[in-house]
Amino acid sequence: MSLASGLAVLTPLVVEFPFEWNYVRSIVRVSLYVSLTAVALSTLVSLPVALLVGFKEFRGKTLLTSVINTGMGFPSVVVGLVVLFAISNQGPFGSWDLVFTTEAMIISQFVLAAPVITGVSLAAVSSVEQNVRDAAYALGGTRVDVAIVTIKEARYGIATAVLAGFGRAISEVGSVLIVGGNIAASDGTSVTRTLTTAIQLEAEQGRFETAMLLGAILVVLVLVVNAIVVRLGNGGGRYG
Amino acid sequence: MTLEAIDVHHGYDGETVLEGVSLSVPSGEVLAIIGPSGVGKSTLLRLLALFDAPDRGEIEFGSERVWTGSQQRRLEFRRRIGMVFQEASLFDATVRRNAEYGLRVRQSWIGRLRRELSALVGMPAETIEAMEALETVGLQEKANQDAASLSGGEAQRVAFARALAYEPDVLLLDEPTSDLDPRNTAVIENAVLEAKKRGIGVAIATHDMHQAERIADRVAVLLGDGVIEVGDTETVFESPADERTRKFIDGELIY
Ligand SMILES: Nc1ncnc2c1ncn2[C@@H]1O[C@H](COP(=O)(O)OP(=O)(O)O)[C@@H](O)[C@H]1O
Ligand SMILES: [Mg+2]
Repeated sequence: MSLASGLAVLTPLVVEFPFEWNYVRSIVRVSLYVSLTAVALSTLVSLPVALLVGFKEFRGKTLLTSVINTGMGFPSVVVGLVVLFAISNQGPFGSWDLVFTTEAMIISQFVLAAPVITGVSLAAVSSVEQNVRDAAYALGGTRVDVAIVTIKEARYGIATAVLAGFGRAISEVGSVLIVGGNIAASDGTSVTRTLTTAIQLEAEQGRFETAMLLGAILVVLVLVVNAIVVRLGNGGGRYG
Repeated sequence: MTLEAIDVHHGYDGETVLEGVSLSVPSGEVLAIIGPSGVGKSTLLRLLALFDAPDRGEIEFGSERVWTGSQQRRLEFRRRIGMVFQEASLFDATVRRNAEYGLRVRQSWIGRLRRELSALVGMPAETIEAMEALETVGLQEKANQDAASLSGGEAQRVAFARALAYEPDVLLLDEPTSDLDPRNTAVIENAVLEAKKRGIGVAIATHDMHQAERIADRVAVLLGDGVIEVGDTETVFESPADERTRKFIDGELIY
């Protein structure tokens, strides 16, 4: 089924259920807020870690590398479980009252996305030639300048890393369901309900049209974010 | 402003490469460092460029010890040195951005941010120094091209301009023309002489004896694990004091 014919099938659904729009919009807002925040935070942490692992020798580097590699394929339900325990009353962060909040969902998606972004970024920055890094240093750059040059040289790979992290974050169900609780407010709009958990719920209750509409929105969102990130990667061409 | 290595020892993983090397690069002079491949020419130039501290001995800039001073002071010294490697190693950006790099890292973070923003909205700030440096190597017309679109020779000329743009006191060139055709080699050699005329001190590692004869005022011969002879180019080539120098030069000139 092509995209056009898919949209043709979905259009009457939208027209038939105009009252669904507040609901849908709130779900999209929660999904984007949680996943974009988690990916932004993950990127801030992942890039320095990737540079450190890629170019510095330190104790525990082998351990850190295997943590990253394991983390890239870690099951999201397990992450959800661990995060839920950590923020529950018995857990170390129990007093923060985070259970069933978007903050909790951000934490668990951060844990899911960070290893992916770190791992793919590590491959990207490691492939930057030592010659180019030496040139930046020889031209009067500081260690920070050399790091910036490395990130700019590796920008396409890093864009791929961010995309992969975003893809993992926005499309996972397990952990956001466990720590977020898939909650809607009394007016029906989403509190901690994301596209994925909503799809799961709608499908379970037999509302396939809504589930499919949400699924289509999820796919379009991923495509749009893909396009934006690829554009950013290309636009970074004029630097030094 | 003289850059100087004084009784420098250096090696890798216990293997000695340089043992007791002393050499100075004074202003307004071209010093050729000749010697067989693997003898330590690059190692010596990297020490002079302040990449690493020598295992023993001193690097001095303007009679000031570089490695006993603060890191900030060392950065100031590094910023008065330009270096060009055998490979151009240009950044994946336009020719102009490459030529401006040294100037850019010398600016404050606010200034850099402002430049980045104006470049982003399509109004890159003109950098006169960078354009002049590109002119020295005849590439000012290619300023807005991507560095990746250049030929090997052109790329190396940009690498030279990139090191010249911030007007260093010393230029260190590590076999800059060994991958180049005669025409691009001539452009680089002329630019070296131009730099010398402006009072820049140049050290150039080369295994091209003819190049040393063409552009160098002095020649240092690196053989074994040290400098076996330093002198006027003519003296070293016509009547070397060390028999090993004659053998090396005669051997290399066969090519
Ligand atoms: N980073 C390094 N690690 C280990 N050995 C090195 C390194 N750089 C150079 N060497 C060794 O030091 C010696 C001198 O190398 P180099 O300075 O590159 O010589 P040249 O530039 O004269 O060809 C060679 O034996 C080389 O293998
Ligand atoms: Mg070398």
